[in-house]
Amino acid sequence: MNPILTVEGITAGYGRVTVLHDISMDAGRFGNVGLFGPNGHGKTTLLRAISGLLRPKSGRILFDGQDITGLSARAIVGTGLIHVPQGNRLFPDLSIADCMALGAYSPRARPHEAENREKVIRLFPKLAERWRQRVRTLSGGERQMVSIGTALMSDPRLLILDEPTLGLAPKIKDELCASVMDISRGGVPLIVVEQDIEFLLELTQQLYLVNHGAVATEIKPGESLDHGEIMSMYFGH
Amino acid sequence: MSALAEILFGGLFQGSLYAMMAVGLALVWTTIGVFNFSHGVFMMLGAYIAWQLVEFGLPAAVAFPIAVVVMAGVGWILQASVVRPLIGRPNIVLVVVITTLAAGSLIENGALTIWGPRSKQIPALIDGNATIGGVGVSLHQIAIIVITPLILAALWMFLNRTRLGLALRAVAQNEDASHLVGLNVTALYGLAFAIAASLAGLAGIFMGGYRFMSPVMGSDPLLKALIVVVFGGISSISGPIFAAYLIGFFEAACSYYFGLYWTPAMLFGVLILTLMVRPEGIFASRSRGLA
Ligand SMILES: Nc1ncnc2c1ncn2[C@@H]1O[C@H](COP(=O)(O)OP(=O)(O)O)[C@@H](O)[C@H]1O
Ligand SMILES: [Mg+2]
Repeated sequence: MNPILTVEGITAGYGRVTVLHDISMDAGRFGNVGLFGPNGHGKTTLLRAISGLLRPKSGRILFDGQDITGLSARAIVGTGLIHVPQGNRLFPDLSIADCMALGAYSPRARPHEAENREKVIRLFPKLAERWRQRVRTLSGGERQMVSIGTALMSDPRLLILDEPTLGLAPKIKDELCASVMDISRGGVPLIVVEQDIEFLLELTQQLYLVNHGAVATEIKPGESLDHGEIMSMYFGH
Repeated sequence: MSALAEILFGGLFQGSLYAMMAVGLALVWTTIGVFNFSHGVFMMLGAYIAWQLVEFGLPAAVAFPIAVVVMAGVGWILQASVVRPLIGRPNIVLVVVITTLAAGSLIENGALTIWGPRSKQIPALIDGNATIGGVGVSLHQIAIIVITPLILAALWMFLNRTRLGLALRAVAQNEDASHLVGLNVTALYGLAFAIAASLAGLAGIFMGGYRFMSPVMGSDPLLKALIVVVFGGISSISGPIFAAYLIGFFEAACSYYFGLYWTPAMLFGVLILTLMVRPEGIFASRSRGLA
């Protein structure tokens, strides 16, 4: 299959600090993509560059054949590339209902608002019980559900999740992983950053180890490694 | 009876003007996170534009709405020229205090050059007087007391019952997340400034209908609006609205019992006490966001 997303030689950073050094990757050739690697090595920065929150200094990003480098985040949302940021900070004083309405803000997603809302409620029935409650009053797991639910309201053609299980209790985490698997089975391709390698191995078909702002290793199907080998790559650098 | 009527009336009237000014200041703070120190100048400019249109021969009923709409444009342009370019700077709050003060002083001097220092007055909303509870009041002031809550209610409905209002509240809370649901953050910033400037302009038209106008007529209302917003809590628009009326009543009672001379000192006394006990304002929740 052709890749739905291609990142070609992106260099990006904050101010004078360069975080990503000529990084290249793609997604959609084999299925879902996982990104992993030590903290602070640029995974989140890469996702921010892809979704237009951060303007790359050089390089090119193609989504479904269209060059989206330098487009505004809003324009990129309009193409169906949807990014769930790390840390589920969301809109603390808005209700779940408000967040869902915001998720359907783009003209592309608006016509599908009702059906997508059904989908979100089927996936996360807990949210329906707290529909009018403010986000700040929710638990970490529920907030993550709202984050992902909001993204689903945007009718994603590619969904990017940045550490969706970060800081969650084991039981909640398992539930959330199951929901993410459901989303994938529903036909939405994913790019997921995750510390939990087991989860990544189960969910994704293609893995990138990101180290010092570059891809250190790409693992394609057929080269599947076991957990131990990945751990040694992780800590070997 | 007439004491109560006088305090009640004076409080409602001053409270209306304060609320109209403070709400715009709070709207800009909650959405963009900056203080707009040209807010008082917006008030002045709205009044002068209305005056000019009336001078051109337009009836007040046409001139006033046009002036309010023009002020929306002025607010948008000011935002685009002296606020937007600075967004993302670490010290944005202080920098914007300076840029909006500078822009305000430019506009003030511009107004002085164009319209001269001589005091002007614009037509009252309604001519005539009435006696209520033994107190003589002008119908213009009654109109302000009635219209202001309607406008504030409309603003509240817009923020809480429409999708665009929802977008404004969202930007106030998390800019990155707003980008990621596809909001046009820049346009929303412009909108916040436009609404604030319109409301300030309307407050200027209200004021110009019962008091003489001058190019510096906005500085005292700006100060009062700042007090209201600090007192009521900057994090919402309902806090400043309640605080505006509270301060209006407080001032009316003070000046009735102790005289106009002592009122500012007592007001600042209350303000300082409030800030010592509740630094976030009396009506504020501890977060930033419009409600
Ligand atoms: N807003 C920011 N301003 C400046 N530096 C940042 C910012 N965000 C992240 N960084 C730096 O960029 C580097 C990569 O961070 P990040 O992309 O968040 O890594 P990861 O997601 O892999 O943990 C880190 O050194 C971090 O300190
Ligand atoms: Mg990260």
